Amino acid sequence: MQVKVVIGTITFMLTMMIMGFAALREPARLEKFSHAFEGRSIESGARIYAGNCATCHGVSGKGEECYDTGGNQIGCRGLPLNYAPLLCGDNSDRTARMNAMNWASTKDAFIESVVAAGRAGTAMPVWSAQFGGPMREDEIKNTVAFILNWESDDLCSEPVVTFDWPATAQGLVDEFPDGDAANGEALFVSYGCSGCHGVPDGSIPAAVGPDLSNIAVDGATRVDGYSAAMYVYESILDPNAFIAEECPTGPCLGPPSAMLANFGERMAENPQDMADILAYLLGE
Amino acid sequence: MTTFVDQVREMGLKQAAIAKADEAVERITAGMNISDVRGALRGDEPRRPNPRLRPHADGFWLHIRPSFYHTEITHIYPTFRLGWLSTFMFVWETITGIILMIFYTPSPFIAYNNMWNILANVPLGQLMRNMHRLGAEVMVLAVALHMLRTFITGSYKKPRQFTWATGMILLVLTLLLSFSGYLLPWDQLAYWALTVFLSGAEAAPAPAVVNENVLLILQGAPSLGAGGLLRWYLFHVLLMPLLLAVFFFVHYYKVVLHGFSLPPGREEIGEDTAKRVPRNERTYFIPDILTSELMWSALATLFLVAGALWFWDAPLEHHADPIVTPLHVVAPWYLSWSQGWLKLADKTIVVGFIPLLMIAFIVMPYFEVGKSRRYADRRVGLSVAFLFMAVMLVSNWMGSPEFRVASSAEQEVSQEILPQEGPSILLGVPYEYMSLGTYLPGEEIENNPHLTEALEEFQAAMFRHSCYLVGNPRLPREWDECTVQTLASGDKRYGNFFKDSVMPDPYAELQIEQMQPNLLRLTLHYEVTNPENPDELLVNTDWVSYRHADSNYEEECRFANKNC
Ligand code: HEC
Ligand code: HEC
Ligand code: HEM
Repeated sequence: MQVKVVIGTITFMLTMMIMGFAALREPARLEKFSHAFEGRSIESGARIYAGNCATCHGVSGKGEECYDTGGNQIGCRGLPLNYAPLLCGDNSDRTARMNAMNWASTKDAFIESVVAAGRAGTAMPVWSAQFGGPMREDEIKNTVAFILNWESDDLCSEPVVTFDWPATAQGLVDEFPDGDAANGEALFVSYGCSGCHGVPDGSIPAAVGPDLSNIAVDGATRVDGYSAAMYVYESILDPNAFIAEECPTGPCLGPPSAMLANFGERMAENPQDMADILAYLLGE
Repeated sequence: MTTFVDQVREMGLKQAAIAKADEAVERITAGMNISDVRGALRGDEPRRPNPRLRPHADGFWLHIRPSFYHTEITHIYPTFRLGWLSTFMFVWETITGIILMIFYTPSPFIAYNNMWNILANVPLGQLMRNMHRLGAEVMVLAVALHMLRTFITGSYKKPRQFTWATGMILLVLTLLLSFSGYLLPWDQLAYWALTVFLSGAEAAPAPAVVNENVLLILQGAPSLGAGGLLRWYLFHVLLMPLLLAVFFFVHYYKVVLHGFSLPPGREEIGEDTAKRVPRNERTYFIPDILTSELMWSALATLFLVAGALWFWDAPLEHHADPIVTPLHVVAPWYLSWSQGWLKLADKTIVVGFIPLLMIAFIVMPYFEVGKSRRYADRRVGLSVAFLFMAVMLVSNWMGSPEFRVASSAEQEVSQEILPQEGPSILLGVPYEYMSLGTYLPGEEIENNPHLTEALEEFQAAMFRHSCYLVGNPRLPREWDECTVQTLASGDKRYGNFFKDSVMPDPYAELQIEQMQPNLLRLTLHYEVTNPENPDELLVNTDWVSYRHADSNYEEECRFANKNC
């Protein structure tokens, strides 16, 4: 019996020592697991993004390379998400996008709310099951974690290129006189215009926005006092200024227009693109 | 009645305090004063009348315990302490379970996050969770072994038939207790294991109305969701433990009533002398059995703590997703035999057979009335038992992942090195060693033992699922020679030594790409050309997974029970 008492006592002390050892390493372990939770949430988000969002927002979230389910490249219909104005905040973590949208709460909540509830009048669907979409709450959270994870020092330290667009189409043509229609044709696809408008030669029919094959003529009839060039120019820079009447699926909705309002920002790096697209659409 | 003040006046403060302490100890132990306790601990002879019997007579905790055992049954054989271990595990599960309960909410919206909260925010939370889950498995094992030993020593025979019957009920409750806990993390593993189980309930050989309503009761709604989780939570923390406790006391009451059966060789055939213990063969509960049990408790605790800390880690897969069925749904090992049976017979037959089998076990002692408990006289009974065990082991193996219905060959390879759920050899490669690039199976990467090892495993998995026909210049490997089968449709099927449907002359590669600054995309890409028609690709697929720098699979891979 004495032996048992001794064995029992030693074992008990050993267990306590092991527990003590475990307790000592707990702070480090908890820290690791918190990060692991984040990391795995981002992994799940990446999977969801690839399956549901990349068709519109692009494989790398830049609103560039988009593919349909058959693997064919199509025009991107969504705004870029891997994008400084959306992700990079100032000192109080307010982003340019939040300010533009008058969003009062946090950056994370801004993104979560768009993903969960969609954005009316645009192609951005409702995702959360809570609002009638297909995704559970945890899936929304994972997706948001993935989008936020694009924020990086590199992204946020890139200088933002802006360009002061001339007030009129003529002003632009004066600045960039050599519009290249052939290059404009290529840009019409790579900017994703064709994803909505189809290709004006008819090879791809318009899906969301009006068919533009006759815009060189029709454009002059939309707004009093506007030339076709002026109208197209304004339509690209500020789609909300005038909402066209007929879209392929019925009357065009808006404002806000279903057409993205960020082409002005995207073309700021290379305003020549605008001149090329104008040359292409107006057939100069 | 003298008051304490009177006593102080009479004997002085010191003496009075000692007397008071003595009295307190005597009350707490229900009959033993300080010197009695000390004597018991030293192993001295007790005074007369024996104060060590009083806690059994007057105390609550010990009144159900016998005051002495037959010395013959205090050795490891014949009980192997397995009944005791089952009881210990039940107490252990109750304690660790109550701690986990503090951090758990039975709701599909919260439960899974609760698990991560336990792992990431609760000090010693991972240890608690591992101890509880390891404990559940040890308990099932202990109970099953205890059943085996009572069978082998013939302890189920008259007069202990009823003990055996209540034991069977305890076994079923233990399985249900363990299995009902399985659902609570609300991860893919949990959700689909329970879904399979419930689909069994639905297939029971009863009228459809009955099945439908049973299912409705079990999952609280037409499909498994919030209502079902709440119900299984209540089964797990309330109903099952309560029933188990009730049946345990009945069981143990009967054990004490009849006395622990002596080793079969110790008695005349047909006699039961367990209750007639000669004075010189008594081992008293206080102090001997008590110290022995305390020692075993300490040893079991050490084993469980060390196991849960270093060797065994509770799995936690992705959040439950009713839409995505995992590639291979497997039951926990202690129910795997039922999955094995499902491969042999129709579901309705299996589901109908299991309750019949249980009833057969419960009533077995009333029919098996052979008088002798000796091994030599029970050759048939023991042989049947071992045959039954062999059948169970084979069934269990048939229900295990090794014997699953295979999906396509390339999916099987992917599932082996980069499964949909859980860590794996490839995910376990430390993030710093995940160099970007495209790699072939079996490729050796300089200064990168981790990735090299994973690619070796990739090659080994490919070997099990590929065969050699004329060779593939892009991936020249000496797979097993192909066997060719022509199916009724005219299509050909290629096999190797292990499987009859594998990839002939396949090409496969692993791509590691940067997705975000701290996130990699891992792609397993497969191409198999149709040997009949070189222009046609039979297989051209990608299997994609992601790996974040912090997701910490290497930590998980340290545990022995992980597939890394
Ligand atoms: C059918 C195309 C489409 C799909 C699919 C789509 N989006 Fe969008 N998304 C859009 C459009 C269009 C907008 C821009 C709305 C606007 O102009 O305000 C947008 C806007 C957003 C925004 C707000 C960006 C900003 O700057 O205001 C976020 C965040 C977003 N989407 C995330 C997602 C996520 C996550 C998914 C996948 C679960 C997804 N989107 C799927 C089309 C899509
Ligand atoms: C997300 C889909 C989408 C994308 C991408 C898109 N548009 Fe549009 N676009 C529309 C819709 C819808 C309208 C009609 C509503 C409106 O007038 O704002 C429209 C209107 C127009 C109009 C006026 C048409 C008319 O008949 O009045 C022009 C011009 C135009 N888009 C040019 C472009 C160019 C150039 C691009 C690429 C740089 C582009 N769009 C990209 C959806 C899109
Ligand atoms: C939760 C599950 C169970 C608990 C906690 C439990 C507990 C115990 C304990 C403490 C004993 C005392 C003897 C010993 O330690 O071996 C005992 C004896 C016994 N048990 Fe169990 N038991 C359980 C399940 C079972 C099962 C599944 C069976 C068989 C179907 C069974 C059959 C018996 C029999 C026949 C005895 C009498 C043994 C003898 O007198 O030698 N028990 N049980």
